[in-house]
Amino acid sequence: MTKTDPETRIPDPIELDRAEEERLAAAFGTAPGGGSRPAGGAEYAGFEQVGVPDRPPQTEREAEVYALEEGEMLFNMGPQHPSTHGVMRLVVKVRGEVVTDLDPVLGYLHRGIEKLCENATYTTVLTYVDPMDYMSSMHNEHAPAIAFEKLYGIRPPKRAEYIRALVMELNRVFSHALMIGFLALDMGGLTPILYSFINRDETVELLAAISGQRMLFNFLRVGGVNWDVNDEFINRLSAWRSNVGRSVSDNEALLTENPIFKRRTRGMGVISGERAIALGVSGPNLRASGVPFDVRKAHPYSIYDELEFDVVTQQAGDVYARYLQRIAEIKQSLHLIDQIVQKMPHGPVQAQVPGIIRPRPGRAFGAVESPRGFYSTYAISDGGPTPYRFRMRDPSFITLQVMPVLMPGHLIADTMAVMASLDPIMGGVDK
Amino acid sequence: MELLLGIGRFVLATTLLLLLTVPTAFVIIQMEMKIIAQMQLRFGPNRIGPRGIFQSTIHGFKVLAKEDATPDQADRPTFTMAPWMVYMAAAMSMLVIPFAPGFVAVDSSISVVYFFAVLGLSVVGLLVAGWASYNKYSLLGGLRSAAQMVSYEIPLTLSVVGVVILTGSLSFVQIIGWQEQHGWAFLWQLPTLAFPVFYIAGLAEINRTPFDMVEADSEIVAGFATEYSGMRFGFFFFAEYVALFIMSAIMTTLFFGGWLAPWPFPAQLDGFWGIVYGLFWFFLKSYFFVFVAVWLRATLPRARVDQLMNMAWKVLLPLALVNLFVTAAIVLIFNLQPVGGA
Repeated sequence: MTKTDPETRIPDPIELDRAEEERLAAAFGTAPGGGSRPAGGAEYAGFEQVGVPDRPPQTEREAEVYALEEGEMLFNMGPQHPSTHGVMRLVVKVRGEVVTDLDPVLGYLHRGIEKLCENATYTTVLTYVDPMDYMSSMHNEHAPAIAFEKLYGIRPPKRAEYIRALVMELNRVFSHALMIGFLALDMGGLTPILYSFINRDETVELLAAISGQRMLFNFLRVGGVNWDVNDEFINRLSAWRSNVGRSVSDNEALLTENPIFKRRTRGMGVISGERAIALGVSGPNLRASGVPFDVRKAHPYSIYDELEFDVVTQQAGDVYARYLQRIAEIKQSLHLIDQIVQKMPHGPVQAQVPGIIRPRPGRAFGAVESPRGFYSTYAISDGGPTPYRFRMRDPSFITLQVMPVLMPGHLIADTMAVMASLDPIMGGVDK
Repeated sequence: MELLLGIGRFVLATTLLLLLTVPTAFVIIQMEMKIIAQMQLRFGPNRIGPRGIFQSTIHGFKVLAKEDATPDQADRPTFTMAPWMVYMAAAMSMLVIPFAPGFVAVDSSISVVYFFAVLGLSVVGLLVAGWASYNKYSLLGGLRSAAQMVSYEIPLTLSVVGVVILTGSLSFVQIIGWQEQHGWAFLWQLPTLAFPVFYIAGLAEINRTPFDMVEADSEIVAGFATEYSGMRFGFFFFAEYVALFIMSAIMTTLFFGGWLAPWPFPAQLDGFWGIVYGLFWFFLKSYFFVFVAVWLRATLPRARVDQLMNMAWKVLLPLALVNLFVTAAIVLIFNLQPVGGA
């Protein structure tokens, strides 16, 4: 081996990293190597401290989470973990297997969509909001569409409203079906997720037939919808309708009366109605706690006041109630789809709007009931072609703050079950 | 000369059995992939070989080609030893399994004791793997495996004691011989629930669904195996499937007459064809229980750690103790004689 001159030697990138680490450590006044490694070669010293950031805590909450008592350990789940929904990170403080504290760390999927929308015309905003809550893209488009229509002062034609309600309910069916599958998958059941995906695939094929896309549909427009439905679509819909119950009932057969499933979900992650309201929970999670609040009934939009449906609720407020709630809501959605197809009027599907919409200065609010809850848009116009301010309220983001309240005292295994039962979608949380 | 022959026989038997573990693991992995695929309404692997039958073989060779990484902070000697311990525990317990008349590596008079002692060693390997990896997921997986396997060892062994009382022998071959005369031990043990207790405890002992929380992928990533890669992970993976086969084989031997045909005429043949006939029935019965385990995996979600412990101590252990009394009563009432006289 020849001895290399240290001046001419190409530096090893790992060594460069170490040098940078030491520079940062000197700047912050902490030990080099950071908190991820025990100091001084002691094999297991400080093992439970791995994961504590090597900088002073920046908020009170951070100080609370990262302060370990005797016998406690930090347990990091995510952002790349087999079961976190998307790129979510949970810092779990455990004593043995019992969770004593939990802190969701967000922002791994932040794409700045709200800011993008403030630089896009009103028409193109509807294409940007699709990937926010990617399991309910149709609802993402519906809320801003309602807000922009209020701003501009138009109403979509009746047929467009019916088509909108139809695709909303189709979207709700596959979103809830997938939630059931993921709940089972997070508890180690391998099969329900595949039955759910059969349901999703058939539903998404329908939506692709009407919108041209399978996931990010880009179907709604300000003042209407992009395409009309034809008889062939209605035929396919009725064929879908006749066998959609199969995958749901297959999953019900596997899970609803399964003793292992019931034991793991009943009395687990219980949240009372008052507590849920106080924490801002909405949608199926709120109704599973016994609060009959549904935006479609409480503040009817689109044509929901013309349709007949029940606001189903469960009383228990646990994981099992949230599972039953999803199944009940799928049945209500199918009931709605039947009515919509029967009542659908003829006519245009798009109101007359100019290519670039310039609403008068003002502000507007549009809210819909998405599969995850109260999904709303707040838009301010300054008279220009783009929104002055554009804000989306995503229910998953609000629902996540329940986790630190629910989890202490439960086991690590229940973290995933409770998490899946709340059904957060990280695309919507991080926006 | 006697000693040399004995050693030669031992070396030959162990080599053959070690060689048998690899195709056994391949077959069961392939079964699992294909059967679960059918149950989940999909095709499963269908590209490598006709109908994909070489998929698991390719997986086996793939792990040989993978990089074998060791974490920086791992305790190297134990980290390296752990897969070997788990694999050898599974493979060495095969030594006493009677495959067919005269086709057993060691026919010892204490083979039941030997079997459960050696199979129980694998928990040491799992615990060591979890501890040596320097990873919190591994640590939790290792601790879970220790708690789970030690707890389930007790009802598992107690449920076997019933069969031992019934047959009056600790040798697998003599237990089969007793069942040839008196019928399957399963039938004798029907009122005592010995077989359900054994089956559930056996599934927990080898970490199969619904008791697979040792490597619960949605909770602790891969449990004790999180930091393992390459052939070391392959050893864990193989050991798991070999253990599934062994547990099924022991169920067959203890409760369902081993190599005996399910009807009495002829329950077994002599000579070379006797071995073939015995092997056929033995593998048919064993793979039936493997199939049931795969079926359960496609159907059930995973139980929780504390529920698992409750089940072991509050349900299975009392049942196994009751089994002892009832079996003893059966032996007295029917005046059953142990095989080969007392």
